[in-house]
Amino acid sequence: MTPVVALDRISKSYESKIAVKDLSLQIDEGIMFGLLGPNGSGKTSTIRMMIGITMPDSGSVSLFGKPFTRDSLKRVGYLPEERGLYKKMKVMDQLVFMGELRGLDPAVAGRRAHDWCERMQILEAVGKKTEELSKGMQQKIQFITTLLHDPELVIMDEPFSGLDPVNATLLQDTLVELRKAGKAILFSTHRMDQVEKLCDSICLINRGHPVLQGGMREVKSRYERNHIVMTYEGDSSFLQHPAIASFKDYAGQAEIQLKPGANAQDLLREAVQKAKVTRFELVEPSLEEIFIRTVGEKVDA
Amino acid sequence: MREILLIAKREYLEQVRGKAFKVTTILIPVIFAVVIGISVLAGKYSGSGKHLAVAANNLTLAEDLRLQLLTDKVANLNVDVIAPAADSDRQKLVDEVSQKQIDGFLWLTQDANGKTAAVYAGRSSGDFSTASRLDEAVDRAILQQQLTIHGITADDAAGFTKGIKIKTRQVRDGIEVDSSTFGTFIAAYVMAFLLTFTVMMYGMNVGRSVIQEKTSRIFEVMLSTVEPKDMLAGKLIGIGAVGLTQLAIWAFAAAIFSGSALAATLMTDNFKVQISVPQIALFAVYFLLGYALYSTLFAGLAATCESEQELQQYAPLAAVPVWLSFSMITFIMSNPNSFWSVAVSLFPPCAPIAMFLRIASQFPPIWQIVLSIVLLVGSVYFVIWFSSRIYRIGILMYGKRATVPEMLRWLRYS
Repeated sequence: MTPVVALDRISKSYESKIAVKDLSLQIDEGIMFGLLGPNGSGKTSTIRMMIGITMPDSGSVSLFGKPFTRDSLKRVGYLPEERGLYKKMKVMDQLVFMGELRGLDPAVAGRRAHDWCERMQILEAVGKKTEELSKGMQQKIQFITTLLHDPELVIMDEPFSGLDPVNATLLQDTLVELRKAGKAILFSTHRMDQVEKLCDSICLINRGHPVLQGGMREVKSRYERNHIVMTYEGDSSFLQHPAIASFKDYAGQAEIQLKPGANAQDLLREAVQKAKVTRFELVEPSLEEIFIRTVGEKVDA
Repeated sequence: MREILLIAKREYLEQVRGKAFKVTTILIPVIFAVVIGISVLAGKYSGSGKHLAVAANNLTLAEDLRLQLLTDKVANLNVDVIAPAADSDRQKLVDEVSQKQIDGFLWLTQDANGKTAAVYAGRSSGDFSTASRLDEAVDRAILQQQLTIHGITADDAAGFTKGIKIKTRQVRDGIEVDSSTFGTFIAAYVMAFLLTFTVMMYGMNVGRSVIQEKTSRIFEVMLSTVEPKDMLAGKLIGIGAVGLTQLAIWAFAAAIFSGSALAATLMTDNFKVQISVPQIALFAVYFLLGYALYSTLFAGLAATCESEQELQQYAPLAAVPVWLSFSMITFIMSNPNSFWSVAVSLFPPCAPIAMFLRIASQFPPIWQIVLSIVLLVGSVYFVIWFSSRIYRIGILMYGKRATVPEMLRWLRYS
C-alpha cells in the first residue's frame, strides 16, 4: 500500500530560525495521525510544506505515492489553524465557490453542500451572509468547506482550538467516520486527551525536530508502567514506601509515581498490610506525561 | 486559469452587489454636476453686485467709465461718481470702504497731456474679476475719450470701442473645426478627474480586499488550493472589471443624457464638449494601466499591514502623483508641449492623468504617447514583480506590520 503522505527528511528555516529539521513521516489510508508539539515547535510549518504553501529547503514531499504537484491538492482537504470565511458572502455561495475551486462542478458542489448542511443541522442558515452567523455555525461551515470535495487526505491544524464542546464532539465524530471510510487524517494539536482517544499514530516534534514517533501502542509500550492509581481506607503511612518517587493523596484516592525500576508488588503488599485497598491499578503513562517527559517542563501548551 | 476566473468572478459579484458600488455610481456624477455647476456660476457671477466709486478730476471721463462699467449686465455693478475729486475726497472714500458702505473705489488722475493714472483700492486684495473688469472699462473709456477729442462722434466712438468676442476653433487632422476652449477644458478636466478617481478608488479597493482576506484569515484556506499569484491575478481582474463596469454605466448614461433636450439647451455654441474616439480608447488604456500600477502596489502594501488603518498610512504615496498632476492642470492645458508637461506626462505614476490632459488640449506626438505607455507597462511589470513577492509572504504573516528591511528580505525569498 502506498502511503498517502510521505515526508522524507524535510527541513525549513526562516532567517536564522530553524522551523523544521530533518523530519520524516508517513501516513497511510484509514489512519488518524496526530502531529504533536508545543506552540512554535514547527507543526504548522510542517503542514504548510506538506500542501505546498511553502517549499522545504531540503528533503522531499510525496502525496498519494507521487512527488508533490499542485494537482494532488484537489484530493486534500485542509483546515488551517487561522481560518476564516468571506464575511459578505452567503453561506451557499461560499460553499459552492470553495467546491468549484477544488474542481467540483457547481451543481455537484451545491448538492453536496446541501447534504452537509443538513447533516450539520445548519440548513436554515444557507441563505444568510456569513457575518450574520454565530461563531459555532461559522465553524461548522469551515468543516464543510474542508470536506466538501470528498478529500482522501484531511489535514486539520489545531482543529479543536476555539471550538465549543458541542462542535468539538461533532468534529470528533465526523473524523472517526472519515477514518472508517478509509481516509487518511492528520491533525495537529497540543491537546493530548484528544490525541490519546483518536489517533492511531503520532509524531511529537519539539523545536523543529521529531522527538518521538510511531504507532500509539508502540510509543506507549516504550515507557515503563510506573504510575499507580489506588483507592484505600485507613492508614496512609504506606505512602512513605521507598519505591515511591512522588504521590498525590486526595483523601483515600492516591496517584503514585514509582521510582524507575521499582517493584509495584512490594508497595501493594505494604499497602494491604496497613490499609483496606479497594483499587490498585498500574496504569500506562498518559500521552501527556510522555509529552512532558520528552519535551521537558518548558511547555507553554 | 479556471481558478483565476473563479476568484475574479467572486470578487466582481461581491463588489457589484455591494452598497458602495451603487452609491458611488449614482453619487459621483451628481457631485460632479454640482461642483462644475457651482464653479461655472461662481466664475460668472464673481465680483457681481458690487458697489464701487469712481473718483476723477475729469467729469466726462468718470461718466464714460461709469457707463462702460454699467454695460456689463452680468457684473450688475452699482457705480457712484465723484468728479472733480479733491484729495480730501480720497480720505472720505477710504472711510466709506472701511465702514463697508462701498466695496472699493477707483481713483483716476488725468494730467494736461491726457496721461491717466488709475489706482483701485478695495476691501479684498485678490478680487481678480473686478480688477479685470475695471481694467477693460478704463481702457475703453480712455479710448472713447481720446477718439471724441480727435473729432469722432460719440456714437461712432462707442461703436469702435465695443469689444469683439473671439470664437475659438481647433485644427484637428488638418481641418478647422468648431471648438470651445471652455468646453474642451471641462471635458478634459472631467475625464482626468474620473480617471484619477477610478484608478485610485479601485486601487485602494484591491488593497482593502487583500486586508479583509488577511484579517478574516481566509487566505490560508484559499492557499491550500490556489497559488498566491493566481489569487492576486483573479482579484485584480475582478475589481478592474468592476471599475470598467462603473465607467461603462457612466458613459452610457452620458450618451443618453447628451441626446436629451436638457443637454441640447446646455450645449450652446459657446459650450460644446467634444470627446473623440481615440480619446475614449486612450482613456481605457490609461485606466487599465494606471489601475494595474496602483492596485498591485496597494495589494503588495496591504499584504504587509494588519488593518485598514495601517493601509491608510500608505495613501499619501498615491496622493503625491495625483497632486502633482492636478497642480499642473492649467499649466498643461495652456502649454501642452512644454518640457515640464512632457516630462510629467511621461513619468509613469503621473502619466495616466497628465497625458490625458495633454490629449484633451492638443494631441501630443504619437511617439510620446507610445513612450508613456511603454514606460507605464515597464513600471507595472516592476511593481507586479515587487508586489507579488511581498504579497506571497506577507499574507501568511500575522501579528505586526512588516518593516522595510523585512520587506526587502522577503523580496529575496524565492
